[in-house]
Amino acid sequence: MIATAAAALEVIDLRKSFGSLVAIDGVSFSLGKGERLALLGPNGAGKTTLIRCMSGRTRPDSGIIRIEGQSADEDGSRETLGLVPQEIAIYGDLTTRENLAAFGRFHGLRGDDLKSRVDWALQWTGLQDRAKGLVGKFSGGMKRRVNLACGVMHSPSVLLLDEPTVGVDPQSRERIFVMLDELSRQGTSILLTTHHLDEAQSRCDRIVIVDKGKVVANGSLNQLVDATVGRSRMVTVSIDRPLLKPIRLSKSSSELHGDCGGETVSTRIDDVAAQLPELLTTLRDAGYGISDVEVHAPSLHHVFLHLTGRELRD
Amino acid sequence: MIWTVLQINARRLLHNRIEMMLTFVVPIAFFSIFAFIFGGGLGSSTTPKINVVAVDEIETDSSKSLVASLRESPGLRFKRDDHETLDREAATELVRHGLITMAIVLTHDDDQSDAAIHADLLTDASNQVAGQIGSALVARALMVERAQAQQQQSAGQQLSQKIATSLPLDTGSLDRAYQSSVDPGQATPIVPVDFEQSTAQSSALAQSAALAQSAVLALSPVTVIDVIGKGKTNPVVSMYAAGIAVMFLLFGATGGGGALLEERESQTLDRLLSTRLSMDELLLGKWFYLTAVGIIQVSVMFLWGQLVFGVDMIHHLDGFLMMTVVTASAAAAFGLCLATLCQTRGQLNGLSVIVVLTMSALGGSMVPRYIMSDGMRQAGMWTFNAWALDGYDKVFWRDLPVHALWPQLTVLMLSGAAFLLVARLLAIRWECD
Repeated sequence: MIATAAAALEVIDLRKSFGSLVAIDGVSFSLGKGERLALLGPNGAGKTTLIRCMSGRTRPDSGIIRIEGQSADEDGSRETLGLVPQEIAIYGDLTTRENLAAFGRFHGLRGDDLKSRVDWALQWTGLQDRAKGLVGKFSGGMKRRVNLACGVMHSPSVLLLDEPTVGVDPQSRERIFVMLDELSRQGTSILLTTHHLDEAQSRCDRIVIVDKGKVVANGSLNQLVDATVGRSRMVTVSIDRPLLKPIRLSKSSSELHGDCGGETVSTRIDDVAAQLPELLTTLRDAGYGISDVEVHAPSLHHVFLHLTGRELRD
Repeated sequence: MIWTVLQINARRLLHNRIEMMLTFVVPIAFFSIFAFIFGGGLGSSTTPKINVVAVDEIETDSSKSLVASLRESPGLRFKRDDHETLDREAATELVRHGLITMAIVLTHDDDQSDAAIHADLLTDASNQVAGQIGSALVARALMVERAQAQQQQSAGQQLSQKIATSLPLDTGSLDRAYQSSVDPGQATPIVPVDFEQSTAQSSALAQSAALAQSAVLALSPVTVIDVIGKGKTNPVVSMYAAGIAVMFLLFGATGGGGALLEERESQTLDRLLSTRLSMDELLLGKWFYLTAVGIIQVSVMFLWGQLVFGVDMIHHLDGFLMMTVVTASAAAAFGLCLATLCQTRGQLNGLSVIVVLTMSALGGSMVPRYIMSDGMRQAGMWTFNAWALDGYDKVFWRDLPVHALWPQLTVLMLSGAAFLLVARLLAIRWECD
């Protein structure tokens, strides 16, 4: 990965081991200004270690981290960085306003700047009416919003989020992404780890997939699809009786996959318009009735499976 | 089903080492500590001795002989040698400063002949045991001495032998035998009240014992003078107030220090350290907070003591504040040190219960240190309860000036600084993986 001057965050050949365990093995990527980047990977892939290295909580064995062009080792370089941990890392026995003010002060805000920023955060999270409520008594989604707000009190140019929507309901997830969209529009570069492929697919500009401490893919969804599973569609056909033997499509000579004795068959086709009729005809000629047909466009899920050989949560 | 529930709970206990320790080890540890304090135990070879000095105002052969015989007593430890001369005022100051527990001043008995020796015992009423045992030992020695003097004059050897054998010989039985109530500020004649009972048991000695008893009652050979408690409404309440306050100061500080572990477990610590906040600032902030809470906690307790139990806090404000600020700051540092030593809040809870209760038991927060053996008392000096209690004792009981607190303040400040330094070093591991 070649570092660019325009990058808000650059990670170059980063390595980190804990004893004999290699957590990060030469990871490189960059985050453009105002870009939203999803860091995907199965459990134990090294995502959290990467976030910790970037936020200065873990010292890498080697490699370079640059924030806004400045080495992360330099004093004050991380002041433009915002961190939102996976846990609800705020004070449950303080009110929303007290939490926001506390983290604002820890980030160096004082006086009118602090007050106006707290007011902004209350409005941004939609918690104005809960400003004096104890955070410990909030719902999971509301706590997540306060957790998020405490990480952006100092208007960071780069925001690191470690699974910001874990354990929240779909409405709260949506609300959190609306908040992140607003930050993104204001020019904040966002890097988030997530287990929700749909979040990465629909909410992020670019996706970096890490596995076993290495970057195995880096690009937009289309780029990843092209580079892995290609543009072919997955077709699944439900038939009216158990499959007796494997069937081969006559023209494309590709094989229909299906367990003998099962009542569904599937195949990958590159040209839906030309190959789907042929598929249906072949099945009918073999004596099978067709009860249903599903055509799936390639998704991040297929890319992920293709690259790592396992589900995201494995 | 019941068996399964029982099994599950037993397995959970087996998997929880801290709970196992609290359930089985801590009770044994505390039983052992209190067994050592009250039952001798390991300390049996170092039974508590009363620290005394003797002031011989008459310097006769009899008085010198008496001092020599008192020096042989296993219950007394003389803090000055024979050749060191001491007057009554100097001895009083030694008692007042807590350097000795009792001063034995041998003087002429005004009502008797020049040969009769009387003992004024200058005592510290806060030590409720030493006064009684000490006075019993001195009274016995005096009566033996008088009997011997009488024997030389006219009555013969029989009377002295009978008195000697009729009196209790060990400090324990003396303690039981004497029921002198030490009333602060009052000179109290010491009389062996069960003397009649003990002598009456032997019909052969009845006549001579009756003579001895009447002689003893008339002579009143020992007078106990409380040199500190004059005018004090309640001599020991301030001691207990300090004892309880210091123990809860320690519990409060370790509990407060646990907030650091909660922050670590919830990743709040990571988040805080990713801001402009440094670990130095974080620890110092928590130390100042715990110190302030501790000062308020102890002040409220003593204020309550003043309002309800007559502890004179207002007139000892300077010493009280100095002791409280230093003790609270040392306790806060201790709490942070324990917290940084642990990995989880659960570990801290278990450890703090063990450490704080042990320190409180050894240091005098639970039972007065003067009833402990010498060995236990020495062990107690490794706890800061003992130093804090000694300081409060100097302020409230002995009415000593603030500069007399320097040993306690120095030890507490140094231990506080050491605890804070250790806490900082231990916290390095949380700063960066």
